[in-house]
Amino acid sequence: MNHRHTFLAVMVFMVTAMTDAAFGETLYVSAKSAQLRSGKTSLDPVVASLKTGDALEVVKRDDRWVQVKTAKGVTGWIYSGNVSESKPAGGDNELAALGKGFRRTEASGVTASAGARGLDKASESYANRAGITQQHRDAVDRMTANKIAEDDIQAFLKAGRLGEYAE
Amino acid sequence: MLNRSSRGLFAVGLVLLATAGLTGCAEIQKAAEGAARGSGNERLAKTIHGSGTLIGGLLPIGYEEEQTIGQAIALQVVARYGGVYDQPDLTRYVNLVGRSVALTCDRADIDYRFAILNHDSINAFAAPAGYIFVTRGLLKTVKNEAELAAVLGHEIGHVTKKHILDVIQRSKQIAGVAETGLAYANKNPDAFKNVIDGAVKKLLDEGLDQGKELESDRLGVIFASRVGYDPTAYETFLDRLRTLKGDDRAFFKTHPDFSNRLSAVRSTISEQKLKATGILLADRFSRSSNEAL
Ligand SMILES: [Zn+2]
Repeated sequence: MNHRHTFLAVMVFMVTAMTDAAFGETLYVSAKSAQLRSGKTSLDPVVASLKTGDALEVVKRDDRWVQVKTAKGVTGWIYSGNVSESKPAGGDNELAALGKGFRRTEASGVTASAGARGLDKASESYANRAGITQQHRDAVDRMTANKIAEDDIQAFLKAGRLGEYAE
Repeated sequence: MLNRSSRGLFAVGLVLLATAGLTGCAEIQKAAEGAARGSGNERLAKTIHGSGTLIGGLLPIGYEEEQTIGQAIALQVVARYGGVYDQPDLTRYVNLVGRSVALTCDRADIDYRFAILNHDSINAFAAPAGYIFVTRGLLKTVKNEAELAAVLGHEIGHVTKKHILDVIQRSKQIAGVAETGLAYANKNPDAFKNVIDGAVKKLLDEGLDQGKELESDRLGVIFASRVGYDPTAYETFLDRLRTLKGDDRAFFKTHPDFSNRLSAVRSTISEQKLKATGILLADRFSRSSNEAL
């Protein structure tokens, strides 16, 4: 076993140690955002707004809906597609965030802030070296900046009778 | 958040690291200590202070770096595949389908963006940080929204499982320099280019491991099904590709053969008890794509 393998083995050990917290019937919100409703249809009033990673205690299940209790003690129904049994890892899990912390110490020019137009400094320099045309740079730039409002996605789901809008 | 007992285990892990005989660099150790203290974990900071050290480059790649890597790979995908197909309405439609699927995938808190490549071949690619591409040729082969949702779900699966990042972290180039960070990229642009070119070669020319492709096939139907799309649509689509592609060598290089993929999809549908909802949305798909393709 070389150092690298030992290191990875220890990392796996630590990640396992950090993720075994769940006991009982706990679900986590896996969707970016989700509504807890008083009944099991999308027409029922919203009793709480939830976000990714929120832990929920299962009360009972009924087909595509699950009745749950939030950490704040609110009980309601959530669409089963919005929850998962494992806690979502997210954009940065703790180890990745820690790794970033290490690398940061010698970081010089960091990327433009989220949402700003323009390629990252490192990919811009890659584009120069790889001879990527301006047209193709603009395409990736537009792709990066492309936003769709949350409401538009919900309207799209609703029109297609998808997600919690299914009949 | 770490609870108390797992924090203890984390500390034990660090001690194990120290005793594993990793030799290190005081600067990185100091940074790790600072990072731990900064995040309010005094105990972890003390453990790092008192023990060995870590090698930053071997830790998982953080999201910010993932975005830079994804963007650089995306540039090369666009360049190699004839640029992006300039059809704003169709692009918006593909994004609506993709983001609907991404909303309830296993990694829903990052941004996913979808673009159409102006290319006749039937293909789709995912670069890290949610840069996802489908070719015009693929869209012409798709018959309904449920099929598209599963195809995009497959690509989203590559992103949630960080398949390309895994390739990068395993690559020899990285083993040599032990660093993929932004600082590294900015200071060593030629080495960064090698890393990106290596990942692009794997993605576009060699193809990912068959295991990763089958895993993404399974995730594709699971994610699409979570939104309510009929999962059997993906079977129909793969079957159509099998008929169309015959023994196209170039295609099989980047995709495992269809009988394996079909059986992976079928067993996932039955094991996960995914419901055949009958929701295909063929009309919405043709309305959105017909004139634009
Ligand atoms: Zn794939």
